[in-house]
Amino acid sequence: MQDTKTEFKYFPVFEWEKEQDYLRQQHKNGWKFVRVSFIGVYHFERCRPEDTVYQLDYNPDGLEHKEEYIQMFHDCGWEYLQDFWGYSYFRKPASEMNGDEEIFCDEASRTEMIKQVLKGHMLPPLILFTLIILPNIYIQSHNNRPVNDILTIVFLALFIIYLVIFLFIGYQFWKYWKLLRK
Amino acid sequence: MDSHIKKVYVPMTETGFYILLCLREESHGYNIVRKVELLTQGEVRISPGTMYGSLSKMEKDGLIQFVREEDKRKIYCITDLGKEVLALEMKRIERLYRNMTEVR
Repeated sequence: MQDTKTEFKYFPVFEWEKEQDYLRQQHKNGWKFVRVSFIGVYHFERCRPEDTVYQLDYNPDGLEHKEEYIQMFHDCGWEYLQDFWGYSYFRKPASEMNGDEEIFCDEASRTEMIKQVLKGHMLPPLILFTLIILPNIYIQSHNNRPVNDILTIVFLALFIIYLVIFLFIGYQFWKYWKLLRK
Repeated sequence: MDSHIKKVYVPMTETGFYILLCLREESHGYNIVRKVELLTQGEVRISPGTMYGSLSKMEKDGLIQFVREEDKRKIYCITDLGKEVLALEMKRIERLYRNMTEVR
């Protein structure tokens, strides 16, 4: 019998709740989460089936002050697992909880996390877009050497790719927001 | 007190209120979690994500200040601005309570 397994699973940006449920279900089935790598390769090892709650946080400030951040969760009984694309992974056995426990206990802090996720994913491409791609389309298209024509095409292609990225993230966010409002 | 602070913190969340209340004495986050649990007979349990986020936000807004670090735990205490906000909230809650007992 195999003691470890890997599964590929893709969760869009705003679907960390589905990811949490997935990890909890695996643990219930006797597969303990070890780590996630690449874009979504999940590594598990065999364990005693147990109801364990998995939670993801997204806190850039916490990553900057990692020791204190992890200590706070540790004090509250949450085991820190790893960071992945800005998310921090935690788990806690349901048997050690008083009722239902989550790493957030009010709407204000949950909304704050969503804001951070949105900022973390939108800001870097937005900066590249306005500071590099847009000016370059202008500059390259106003020069007449052949190399400028090629670069114009390259930056126009990047322009379209980035528009798609914005639309994609925007759509994911809108879907999530709608779900949240229900 | 500027209008931004007033808008964000008056009224404030239960978590925020208890944090300010506890930070009239120097304390770290987990200590506040335990204190609040005692004060409310276990009914209010502040989660670590909420606690960490609230402390950094309040520090940024100048309601509390970092004092020192002890065993990887940041110790904070309330500032004058924090005391002002807490006093406003106490007044508001007192009024709320008075009006509530009148109709009961």
